This record gives sequence, C-alpha cells and structure tokens, in this order.
Amino acid sequence: MSNCHGNHEHGNCKTTGLCPIVTFPEVVNIDEIRDEIPEVKTFYLSFPNKDVEREFRIKSGQFIMCTVFGAGEFAVSLPPSPENDRFHISVRAVGKVTHALHALKPGDKLGVRGPFGNGFPFDEIKGKNIIYVAGGIGLIPLRSSIVHALQHREDFGRIILLYGARSSKDLMYQPDIREWQQNAGFETFITIDRPEEGWTGEVGYVNQLIEKANVPVDNSVAFVCGPPVMFNSVIGEFLKRGMSEDAIISTLERQMKCGIGKCQHCAVGRTLVCTDGPVYTYRQIKTLGEQI
Amino acid sequence: MSMSMYILSSGEISALVTELQASYDVYGPQVEPQTKQVFFDQLATPAALDLEAPIPSMPVKEILFPQMERILKYKYDAENQSVAMSKQYFERPKALFGLRPCDLSGILVLDRFFLGQEFVDDVYLTHRRQCLLISNTCLHPFPQCFCVCTHSGPDADEGFDLDLTKLQDGYLLRVGSEKGQAIADAHQWQVATPLHAKEFKAVVDRSIDLFPEMATDNKAWVAKVMNRITTGFVKQETWEYIGDQCFECGACSFVCPTCSCFNIEDTQTPCGECERLRMRDSCSFEGYARMAGDHNPRQPVEDRRNKRFFCKLSYPQSKKYLRPGCVGCGRCQWVCPGDIGLPNVVQYIRREITGGQN
Repeated sequence: MSNCHGNHEHGNCKTTGLCPIVTFPEVVNIDEIRDEIPEVKTFYLSFPNKDVEREFRIKSGQFIMCTVFGAGEFAVSLPPSPENDRFHISVRAVGKVTHALHALKPGDKLGVRGPFGNGFPFDEIKGKNIIYVAGGIGLIPLRSSIVHALQHREDFGRIILLYGARSSKDLMYQPDIREWQQNAGFETFITIDRPEEGWTGEVGYVNQLIEKANVPVDNSVAFVCGPPVMFNSVIGEFLKRGMSEDAIISTLERQMKCGIGKCQHCAVGRTLVCTDGPVYTYRQIKTLGEQI
Repeated sequence: MSMSMYILSSGEISALVTELQASYDVYGPQVEPQTKQVFFDQLATPAALDLEAPIPSMPVKEILFPQMERILKYKYDAENQSVAMSKQYFERPKALFGLRPCDLSGILVLDRFFLGQEFVDDVYLTHRRQCLLISNTCLHPFPQCFCVCTHSGPDADEGFDLDLTKLQDGYLLRVGSEKGQAIADAHQWQVATPLHAKEFKAVVDRSIDLFPEMATDNKAWVAKVMNRITTGFVKQETWEYIGDQCFECGACSFVCPTCSCFNIEDTQTPCGECERLRMRDSCSFEGYARMAGDHNPRQPVEDRRNKRFFCKLSYPQSKKYLRPGCVGCGRCQWVCPGDIGLPNVVQYIRREITGGQN
C-alpha cells in the first residue's frame, strides 16, 4: 500500500491519495457471516494489519478482488458506505469460488485486492433528487451509495428507493430496509412479484413503482441495478418520462481476473469495466454495443 | 541524444555476448539443428547466436510475458485458519540480443500497455526492469512479413539500447540509450564513418524494395482499415465472413508479439500448497468472457473476432500503445488454419470498401 503502483492517476489516488492493494492480496479475517436470502450470504471482514485497514478507503460503486484461498479469486461489489460502516461483502453462491466461500466459517481468512473501479458520482450529484432502482441482489452494489447519501441527507433533494424481488424471502438487507422505512427523509417502495400471505407492501414489478412514487425527472439522477429484463423496462420508463440518458446510471458486471486493466477479460466496447467502469451512464452503455 | 555509431567485427560481437553473460541472462535467435526452426532462447555459448536466422517462430514476448508463470504461492491451514503467502521471486537481468524490429516494437507495445496505463503491472515490471534490448535490422523480408505497413521495420527506430545492422565491413552498431552508450564507452570499438551511415540507409532501402507487392500495396490500406474499424463502419457480413473462418484455436493470440490477455487460476500442488498461475488467454475462445452462472455476453464468434482486430487496428487502442497494435511480423498469417491472419483481414475489409475491386 505504501508505494503507488500506478502513476497516481487512478481513482483512489486522485480522491484520497491512497493506493489500492494492486498485486498481492492482503489477508482479511471473516468476523461474522449472515444468511441474507437463499444462496446469498453477507461476510463481515476486518484486516488484521491495522495499517492497511486505515489506508483502505472505498468509494461507493467500487469493487474488490476477493481471494478464497485454495479456490481462486472473484470480483465483488462493495456494499458498505465509505464512512462509518462495517467492511463487508454480500455474495451469491454461483460458481466454483463463490461456493467455496460459502463453505467457510467465521475466523477463516480471505484475500483482498482493491478497491478498484471508478465508483458512483457523489459530489457531482449534490443538490439533486436521487432515485435508486434495484431488483433482487441488485441492491448490493447500491447499498453503499444509499447509506452514504442518507449520511449526508441535507445535500440532496428527494431520495427514493424502488426495490423489487421475486418474493419476500428474496429481499436483501432486511434490517436495513426496516430502518430505511422508519426514516422520514427516505421514500421507500418495496414490491414482490406475486401476492403472499401476510405481505402488506406492493405487488408487481419495479417499473410499475415509478408511476406510484411520482418520480421526479427534473434535477434527478437514477441509479439502476438489477437483472437485464428489469433494467430495460425501467430505463424505458424513465426515458419515456423525459429523463436524460446521462442521468441514468448503472453498473456492469463482467468476468475479471486482474482488476487493474491488464487481463482484458472485462472489455466491453472500447472500455474496460475494471478501470473505466463499473459505473456507466446509460448514454455510455448504449454505445458499448454489447449485452448488459 | 545524438546517436553514436560504431563498426564491430563478428569477433567483437561474440566478445560482447560473452561479456554480457557475466551480468545478464543473454537470449538470442538460434536455429534448432534438426528442425531448422528458429527460437529466441537463452544462449549457452556466443557461437549459438545466429544473427542471420529468419524471424523466430514464437515472438520474444515469451521471455517477458511467459505462456504460464507463478505469481504467488500460498498455503492455507484450515485448522488454524491461517495463511502463509510467499511473493518473493528473484529475476536475473536479461539481455535480448538480436531482436528483429517487429519483436522490439512488440515489446514497446507491451511496455506501454503494462507499465504506462493507469496501473503498473508488477509482474511484467519484474521481468522488464533490468532488460537490455539489442535489435537487429532485417536485410530482407521473410515470408509473410509486412512491417513496412505498420511502421515497425525493417530497421528499428526507437526503443533499443543497441542496434545492429550487417554491412560490408562488419556490424554497424547504433546506440539508442544511455545504458547502451555506457556499454559502448567501455570499449574501444571503431567509430563508424559517414560512409557507413550512407550504406546503412541503402541497406534499409534495399530491404524495403524486397518486400512483396502485396505488403507494400497494403501500406495505405492499413490506415484506412484502422479508420473503418474505429468508426464501426465495417459491415456485419464482413465480420461474419471473418468469423466463419475462425477455428477458435487461439494460435493468432499466442504468436502475436502484442497480444497480452491473460487468465489467472489458483491450483493445488501435490504437497498441499497453492499456486496462483497467470497464463496467456485468447479472446477467440468461447469461454473468454463467460461469467459464473454461465452468462456469456460475447457469444457469436464474429463478436470475438472483431474484438481482436479492434485491439490490433483502431485508434483508441493505438492511443494506449502509441502505435498500431499490429507490428507486421506476419506470424498470425503463418499459423491461422482459417484464412484470417491480419493481412488477410485488411484485404477483406479493403475489398468491402472498394466493392470487390481489389
């Protein structure tokens, strides 16, 4: 961490003066594991090396490369807020490495490189309304920005969350959601696909909430994360209402091996998701010429 | 800096190799006696060096960016929940003696890509840090060469520490860096005369004249094709025609001096340790962009092919490399089991532009 591996031109050095962990993973301890929803667990982590921990600063929307020793490395977005939040990751067991991660227990060690990526704009959107739109585990990459925005509530106009999942069991971060619903400065709309016994919230798809929430399009930004089907219908709805393509912001996910713009696995259009992204505006995504 | 030039005899060249071997691992072109194949490999003796050998079968990137290398070793103790990592590796300085100009340009592309972007690649830097580069002018083109189209030959004009050209009186040695000058200053080599400089120019001109018409004729077209690829004006049918001929073998990427994609895998060794291996990859492979959960955003082969040619021939990519991504060595043309080596792709796009006239 002490010496810069870049030319001090990457995001982290510019904003914080601190370099990410570039080549060799730094060991972290798994302090606690929480079952989030089926197949998804949240891992609370800490650095045994306190010097590294002090210098490990993240920006909302960035990601890390996480090593499961013996299995391999994967890219994962960061849900904690950059300020006053516990370092954690939320991961769905999908492939070889993430399944190996799910088999670990508290006290086991992981490796971490990063943080990498451009991150969500924060200073640029001050004074605007923010609309967060998430589907399923799309809430994971948005959580960081949501918590950060709420920590600086006075800097923004309306803050709205439109969140949808298949069923009430598939809603991520339920303790957070309960807290957010109590927050008078935060308008939350939660929906599930089909009616359920005991469910008093909305039923239907996320794009239907846009109408319901009376979403402002002027002086607003929308952060959209979710499965491609949801993404396309939500974007369509926003564009119909006259929202600018630059004001719709999302993150892309790709296979990544290095995180520092060298392995080229995450090349999309002319850009690399690891260094040019993962945060893109809809205007940029449109020019990439590839599936989301 | 003004460029010093000297004239060296063959004996002085051999002496230089021996001398460099004291402080460097010296690599150079050698002809394998049985197969007559040329390999750029570590020299056991100065006599093994063959400066007149054709361009090596494999690019010299092999030495700085190996097919596979270990970048980390660790052992995880599950019982005690602890990990021991070892990341120390020692690299001997390397001297690359007798690089063909295309391979030298390839190294410069890798330098700019691995060291000159937002992040520095530590692994490449370890190999590259103490390298000495000695290039060797091509007196005539070899089959499939088209470096005249890509500004990377037949003589080297940047990036070398020392450069050799065979003239009547011996080897003309041009100095290209302070490191090279320091080596020259330690010797009593004969200083070259203006006549030698004139002969050098004539030798290069003659070499350029010897390129087949197809190569020189394509020169202007490389720039036009770059323009087309950058602006996205190449028709889908042309990419499909190119994609139809791709066997997805990845050979073009492995022999390309500038292809630098890699994969990283952690593997268990029999003694319970783990190694993190970095190995070359190719964007032609179907699984290249496949993610966990089997979502593959880049499926059709033509999508993957157009990615490769975008890397080799487009302005945004050239901005990273400070030159085109292709160095004109022609190796992809030798190895491609289809017919989509880079010069052919230029031809196909050219045919599209001219409506099949040429």
